Amino acid sequence: MADFRFDDQLLVGYIQGKRYERENKTENDVEIPPAFLITDSDGAAWTFGPQYAVHNSEFEFSVMRNDVDTGEVAKRIVYKKGVVWIFGSYGWKGFSRSRRHFI
Amino acid sequence: MREFSVGGDGLTIVNGVVTLVFVNPAAAPSVNLEFLRLWCSQQGSAVSAQQRVEVETQVTGFPTLVSATPRKLKFGDPAASTISGGTAGAAGTSGINASAEGAGGKTVMFGDNFNVLNGYLWVATPRETIVMPAGSASGLGLFLPAAAPSLTNWAVGANFGEI
Repeated sequence: MADFRFDDQLLVGYIQGKRYERENKTENDVEIPPAFLITDSDGAAWTFGPQYAVHNSEFEFSVMRNDVDTGEVAKRIVYKKGVVWIFGSYGWKGFSRSRRHFI
Repeated sequence: MREFSVGGDGLTIVNGVVTLVFVNPAAAPSVNLEFLRLWCSQQGSAVSAQQRVEVETQVTGFPTLVSATPRKLKFGDPAASTISGGTAGAAGTSGINASAEGAGGKTVMFGDNFNVLNGYLWVATPRETIVMPAGSASGLGLFLPAAAPSLTNWAVGANFGEI
């Protein structure tokens, strides 16, 4: 079992069951792709999931937060001014302050 | 719709150039491989640093790898991938985390750079997918052409379809 640090200042998220530790949230305007992951201020790790749909000749991938499928698909995930935004055939949606859904 | 994922995590990579994941199509006649996604990330370092990355093809001699068997993305798929895990990078095999790069020439398809804190993800639009035909003399790899700043706890992978 890999060592891990007990540090309540660390931001900790999970992708494919793997623990990702970060000292800081992701910088402004980082975008998936080409980034693989985004760490938000809660420490949650965002990335694309394995499911995809084709819309207007482009792939839209499932959006995962800490290995949980958010039920959304997107072409892009962008971290901007502390908010996770997704972009797809529907336009832009931002992750709600309640941490429950995209608006 | 037959898609597979090959990769690994918790990897300690060599301190130098390294092929992270390598997939070599099977000998003809067989299915062709359509690459949909390639990625790498690390959690060994929390220090911001830029890293070069390349998607490249390589002819024999191939890298020496850790065997990695493709996993089904469609659990109901009754058959395994035509690609099996292998350490020699030979036709019809896949592997990760090369310990030696092999003498075979590499051809860079495209290069990019990423911040190691964010990792690297390549996804294609349908027309941009990379297709490696069965019987091809080369395999496809995700390659770091410069040593990474931190060598521990890398995760790498590739998703491909059989067409």
